[in-house]
Amino acid sequence: MTRTQQVLAGAPLMFLGVFFVVPVVMTLVVFTDIAVMGETITNSFFIKIAWFSLWQAVLSVVVTLVIGLPATWALSRVSFPGSQILRGILSAPFVIPAVVVASGVLAVLPASNNTGLLPILWAHAMFNISVVLRVVGPRWELLDQRLERASAMLGAHPMGTFRYVVWPHIKNSTINAALLIFIYCFTSFGVIVIVGGFNRRTIEAEIFTQAIRLGDTSTATALAVVQIVMIAIVFTVVRIGSRREIPTSHIHRRQRLSATTHSRWIVGGAVTSAVVVVGVPMVATLWRSIYSRSTQSFTISGWESLFDTRLPTMAYSATEVLTNSAMFALLAALVCVPLSLAAVVSNNRFLFFVSSLPIVVSAATLGIGLIITFDVDPIAWRSQWWLLPVVHAAIAFPLTTRTLHPAYIAIPTSLRHSAQVLGASPLRSFVAVEIPIMKSALWRATGLSMAVSLGEFGATSFLSRSGTTTMPIAISQLMGTVGQVPQQAAFALSATFIIVTVGVMSRA
Amino acid sequence: MKKINIIALLLGSAFVAASCTSSSSQNTPTEVTLIAYDSFTPQEGIFEAFTKQTGATVKVVTAGDTGTMVSKAILTSGNPEGDVMWGIDNTFLSRAQNADVLVSYEPVDEGDICVNYDKSWFNERALAVPTSFEDLIRPEYSRLLTVQDPVNSSPGLGFLLGTIAHFGDNNWEQYWRALKDNNVNVAPDWTSAYYEAFSGSSGKGQYPLVVSYGSSPPAEVVFAETPITEPTTGVIEATCFRQTEYVGVLRGTKNTELAEKLVEFLLDKEFQESMPLTLFVFPINTEAVLPEVFKQFAVRPANPLSVEPKKIEDNRAKWLDTWRGLFS
Repeated sequence: MTRTQQVLAGAPLMFLGVFFVVPVVMTLVVFTDIAVMGETITNSFFIKIAWFSLWQAVLSVVVTLVIGLPATWALSRVSFPGSQILRGILSAPFVIPAVVVASGVLAVLPASNNTGLLPILWAHAMFNISVVLRVVGPRWELLDQRLERASAMLGAHPMGTFRYVVWPHIKNSTINAALLIFIYCFTSFGVIVIVGGFNRRTIEAEIFTQAIRLGDTSTATALAVVQIVMIAIVFTVVRIGSRREIPTSHIHRRQRLSATTHSRWIVGGAVTSAVVVVGVPMVATLWRSIYSRSTQSFTISGWESLFDTRLPTMAYSATEVLTNSAMFALLAALVCVPLSLAAVVSNNRFLFFVSSLPIVVSAATLGIGLIITFDVDPIAWRSQWWLLPVVHAAIAFPLTTRTLHPAYIAIPTSLRHSAQVLGASPLRSFVAVEIPIMKSALWRATGLSMAVSLGEFGATSFLSRSGTTTMPIAISQLMGTVGQVPQQAAFALSATFIIVTVGVMSRA
Repeated sequence: MKKINIIALLLGSAFVAASCTSSSSQNTPTEVTLIAYDSFTPQEGIFEAFTKQTGATVKVVTAGDTGTMVSKAILTSGNPEGDVMWGIDNTFLSRAQNADVLVSYEPVDEGDICVNYDKSWFNERALAVPTSFEDLIRPEYSRLLTVQDPVNSSPGLGFLLGTIAHFGDNNWEQYWRALKDNNVNVAPDWTSAYYEAFSGSSGKGQYPLVVSYGSSPPAEVVFAETPITEPTTGVIEATCFRQTEYVGVLRGTKNTELAEKLVEFLLDKEFQESMPLTLFVFPINTEAVLPEVFKQFAVRPANPLSVEPKKIEDNRAKWLDTWRGLFS
């Protein structure tokens, strides 16, 4: 490793160390109790919860891949009118707060059937199709289309071409996507709480119950450790099963096919099924924002309230909430993307390990850690407004590094060498050669980190706030208030969220 | 791409503007911090009177729902995030006392958790509205009631405590078995119970009975889409469980004097009279005059059910375990 790389690894390591590792370790050290741990792992109630977390997550991964991979293929290989907006629609749910996604799903399903496994799987698929699109898509775009043509020319069946030519190229990123989705669903909180019904619980949901409702921080910590260990086991098993490095194709420009060369209905079918799964609950939310179920008539009162000086029953206006959310999202991206880039370039294995931690640790564990760590001068930051975007950046970090990494390693070393032979300094070659090649990945990473910040609920709701209410918090507060006017305002705010995200995501 | 840059620029300047205003407010000489739950939404400008009296501004910091707020206060006991805490209720009070969170506390508002009913649903079917816990387990009211998970929801816990107060330590479990046999619906939280399952609110669900608050009917009138003169929902008084919220000075405050003044202010007539229509709770100060819509439609039973805070804290885990055993 060069010295530059060591220096580059320093900043992200320091950042994650201070704002993530230290608080989490503090929680574990202060609240781990061996006796409680023993009781927890032998308690049949908790074993049942762990088992449910596991199988619903596996099932969610399967459902998401079955719907998401064909759509990803269509959107990354085929160019057709409207593909950008469809990409935006499919990516949007990732940032939409669980409370909005879940109420959309609830609104679509018949009341007798609106809690249980089907709505859980639906909401999870809705959230995570964007992960497939974002993790596998860029890789699929890079695959040299001539390889597929050659395979077809040599007489291979399309399935054969997929099996032997395409799959080896996208296998690693598909596994990465599957692991991410698994972790999201395994640690699912909002969706489970709202559409799972009261007795289908994940470990994450139970951690909140124990820590917040029952005040039993030791049991909550024991459950958090169980959760981390289970994820680590799944991670290791999957990694061992997919050890072999795959060859990288050296393509510098996106290659897109025109729709004429493909059967239009295959592309259409692949995209449509995903858009239906993702779009229907979003349309239901838009519908609810202009239609009052109680008076059974159209109304724009919710939308009007977004322009008032205060949202109904709340102490702040919609403008303030939107400004806060946008500002935090931007700051989170400004912190997260450069640090992730440094992490990717430093190519430091230990840093890679550390950078994946924020997705496996429960938001409650982090939240508790933050308030017991940053409570004394000179680091009494727990009530500082900037702690929110900084924590959002730490939570987004694993996603942004995973977005940038494949793009970075796909840059052929020969390019870097040519630049250097031609007299460019490493910095100049980085700025002039590598950054432009990674431009699309950098935009994606920016979009993702903004997305995480916009939608983050768990840690945000744990930190104290003064005038820094974000959209997810405002929506859940409005939804939790008696009266039709706040309800309409909640749906109008959710609809705004959806429209803005679809707009941003179809560009990012 | 260009558009994104413009948006970024705008956001950037918004941020600069925001940070300027926030730094100027930090420079004011005296400030007292009030920690409250998220749904604490006082009347706009109400604290200006306090600033006039004392010269100090009130900074409201929201800390999550009541449970989150109390859990955090316990973790930071003695080194609090603010000076005064608003809204610890009687189900959490004892836990806060055990952890020595507050140096002093007083009741600041009260309300009741009661079964609400959909008036027109019962009218249309010419079915009598149930009037007691016992009615709710009769066959004609099968599949009509939705409650919240008491483990994760405050009104859900209030309803469970109401049944414990009414039936006693030895018989409440049997009552819940009967409720279960009578097909009670358990929703995960208040929002999904009231807005998805309940037939009398905007969700138009299928259950005409729901656990909510004694002040929900006036809220339906105040926040109706099209003005109505009478609420569409009513309250079953015999099921009401009293919920009292407290305000207290946090141990470790460096501002004891101002903190005490703020507590006084919150208990004073002016603030107390502002609470019904902003927080939908009843004032504790007997001098406070109630707004008309509250007088007409809010229910405050003379003898509500209640359980001692200490008894709640000592038995909560056991009761909730028993309840979970019944329902999972």
